[in-house]
Amino acid sequence: MVERISPHQFMILGSAVLMGTTFLPIASMVTGVSGRDGWMTVLPGFVVAIPYGLMVLSLLSRYPSKNLLQISEIIFGKWIAKIIGLIYILITGYFGGLLLAQAGDIYERSVMPLTPIGVFYLGGLLLVFYLVNSGIEVFARFSEVIFPGIVIALILNMGLSIPRVEQGELLPILSEGLGPLFGGGVKVAPFAMEYILFIGGLLTFLPTSRKELGQLKTGVWRAVFLVGILNMLVVLMQILIFGPTETIRLTYGLLVLGKMVEISRTVAGVESLFLGVWLGSLVIKISAFFFTVTWGLETVFNLKGLKWNLAISIVFMAIAFGFVRGASLFAEIGFVDNYLILPFTSVWIITLWGVSRWKKGAGVQ
Amino acid sequence: MPSWLKMIKELTIRPKVQQIRKPPEYSFDEDMNKTLSGQTVKEILSKSSDVVFREFFLQGKERIPCMLTAVDGLVDKNQLDFFVLKTLMVDLAGHPEMAQLTIANVVDKTLQSILPGLEFRKVSKMGEAINAILSGDAVIFFGESKEALVFGARGWANSGINEPVAESVIKGPHEGFTETLRINTSMLRRKIKHPSLRLISLKVGDLTNTDLVVAYMDKIASPDIVSEVLRRVSRIKMDGVLGNGYIEEMIEDFPYSPFPQIAYTERPDVLAGKLLEGKVGIILDGTPIVLVVPAILTQFLNVNEDYYQRAMTAILFRFVRYVGAMVAVLAPSVYIAVTTFHQEIIPTDLLMSISAGRQGVPFPALLEALIMTVVLEILQEAGLRLPKPIGQTIGIVGALIMGDAAVKASLVSPLMVIVIGITAVASYAIPYYDLSLAVRLTRFPLMILAGVLGFFGVSVGLYAGLIHLLSLRSFGVPYTSPFAPLRIRALLQDTLVRAPWWAMKRRPQLLDVDEPKSGGKGKG
Repeated sequence: MVERISPHQFMILGSAVLMGTTFLPIASMVTGVSGRDGWMTVLPGFVVAIPYGLMVLSLLSRYPSKNLLQISEIIFGKWIAKIIGLIYILITGYFGGLLLAQAGDIYERSVMPLTPIGVFYLGGLLLVFYLVNSGIEVFARFSEVIFPGIVIALILNMGLSIPRVEQGELLPILSEGLGPLFGGGVKVAPFAMEYILFIGGLLTFLPTSRKELGQLKTGVWRAVFLVGILNMLVVLMQILIFGPTETIRLTYGLLVLGKMVEISRTVAGVESLFLGVWLGSLVIKISAFFFTVTWGLETVFNLKGLKWNLAISIVFMAIAFGFVRGASLFAEIGFVDNYLILPFTSVWIITLWGVSRWKKGAGVQ
Repeated sequence: MPSWLKMIKELTIRPKVQQIRKPPEYSFDEDMNKTLSGQTVKEILSKSSDVVFREFFLQGKERIPCMLTAVDGLVDKNQLDFFVLKTLMVDLAGHPEMAQLTIANVVDKTLQSILPGLEFRKVSKMGEAINAILSGDAVIFFGESKEALVFGARGWANSGINEPVAESVIKGPHEGFTETLRINTSMLRRKIKHPSLRLISLKVGDLTNTDLVVAYMDKIASPDIVSEVLRRVSRIKMDGVLGNGYIEEMIEDFPYSPFPQIAYTERPDVLAGKLLEGKVGIILDGTPIVLVVPAILTQFLNVNEDYYQRAMTAILFRFVRYVGAMVAVLAPSVYIAVTTFHQEIIPTDLLMSISAGRQGVPFPALLEALIMTVVLEILQEAGLRLPKPIGQTIGIVGALIMGDAAVKASLVSPLMVIVIGITAVASYAIPYYDLSLAVRLTRFPLMILAGVLGFFGVSVGLYAGLIHLLSLRSFGVPYTSPFAPLRIRALLQDTLVRAPWWAMKRRPQLLDVDEPKSGGKGKG
């Protein structure tokens, strides 16, 4: 049976993948570049996903039920497409492994420092493996259930921290001019490109009727704005509570914010409860990259099935074990985001879309 | 393939055509195809002491030997005596119609102008005659005639119409299904007096020949679901079908899931309601329980009382049931995780109190909870199987005396007793026993994960359970509808909340129904 997901599921799944765990490091990242005005750069950084998303969907309307790798083969020819596919697999596979490492790192650093980090890798990977093997429809449904929970948990985390806000931390606005804002936006743009890489593979499962294509486009807009605004609020709250200097220092500032939550002076230290929800977002993000690797392997090398999924799991685990500690892991994720995902995706999609348009205009098949 | 592997495969993988046990070497099949003859029927059935053969003669143009055959206990003997034997042998003896009877026309003449009554029909096959006798009808054989008359005079003792114990309501009809199929279909027909109600009869069980009826509303139920139900039921091949559990396991989508994928009811009003939503009922002879497909998870948390109470009250009680289910799943594991790994969540005063309560308890929280839960399960099982008065005693002895003694002996902490008590009470808030059992089953791995990995373990367990639920389907319908895939109208109409009847203008979106606008459910 061919799996299909609805436009609504596309929107929610896209939002969940775009959100991923961006809310954990984003404040530190953008504040490091743009200072106390970092919160302003978040939404524009995410909005980059809209033109790219619309380009991908326009390719879908021209090549229904084909993913971007298959479309690349039609447009660029077999061998160039295979090279692109190989890069796609390597980048997404490596990044997925790093995200698994991040899951272990977050749990070990935040709530259970005495538990071996491999246990967190294994727990996370088992969930990802189970989810991926259950298929894209189940993945979409999983997002439908978990994503609202993530949004509620974020709002609760921020809402319960309001008593600690110090309004002065935000002032003076634009004290360092407009220049740093651009740098902040560039830091956020790779998140948008991660999302584009995922929907590039997801295309084969999307409906292609005219009406539904319109709904898919709306889904991209909604996902980007929802996630962009939420992340912007997360950054804003952290700057308001910690101040810019402390926000830069705290790699996972939201976890610290979770630790500071106190309800009616009775319930405190609920970060472990929030972490239960964040685990869901981690699972979604890692699964998304697991899926991209499986789609890549299937399209480029015609390798599919349980044993290849097991092989991907082993690779993910090996990558995770290669980056045990926070600083080097954080730097590596930044490197992959800024120097691999961002340039590869931006160039690939624009070229693919441009050549496709040119061929269509020139009447070349 | 090695024999051990073959055996494992046989025990674990459900075949597409389900041949459960080969039938005995002797088969009726050969006899069934023979030409109809009273003498052969007598040869086949005479070894059964409950089958009676009443032989008599009709005096027509010629003297015709007749034999009335029926199963004692299944037929209404008064009807046989009054409508058949007395009519033929006494009332109409010497009647002009009788005088014309010959062996060639006896069946047709008797059917058309001699015997009164609605439930007479003609059979000409051996199989039909034998099945009719064994199903509780009486059959009259006429000499060497190749045809016989079947008289529908079923009349066995049944338990009568009572209110089902497991589905009692305060405000609503107090009638439940019985063990007799025909009474059950008549009760359903009394609820839905519309030609769209379709009742398709089948037989299941090679040796038991159990009657089964598939009920649905034409133009409302999805034709795909109806045909899938008929396909799955008709491919059941087993010696005997003695209860709905047999059918359930043979037709459900995921037999290894602990979660029920087929709903059931003992109430005609509930079945009628489900059929009007587009679902399909499977009514089996010999059991008061009717299966309803497809089933979704939230359906197992709703009760029929919801539809008889005011909407606001129903919403509150639904909420209570959802919370109860969550508590039943999570309470022990959260307690273990908090006391073992995440003490920082507990307010200081409470932490001191818990700590004082645990003074002298020799077991870790995980072991303590496991012991208590296992004891609770034993108590529940013991109470269930024993006669009611003794069962209650077991509850009192177990819960009050043993629990108190265990706390005093410092074997368990008082808070643990409270947690397990709350869990037990919460699990009773789940209205469907099957779902309650699944919840009890899932509690154990969650407790172990909580004891080993704290909230991380609980989260992993919950997410794994969620993925499992999300991957389930019941006759093609996702089990977690309307949450995922999200159907907001269904969610707000009759899932999380129960909208007032006047607001239920459309049928549930969960099923692919032909007629989305409801004239039946709401005022429309």
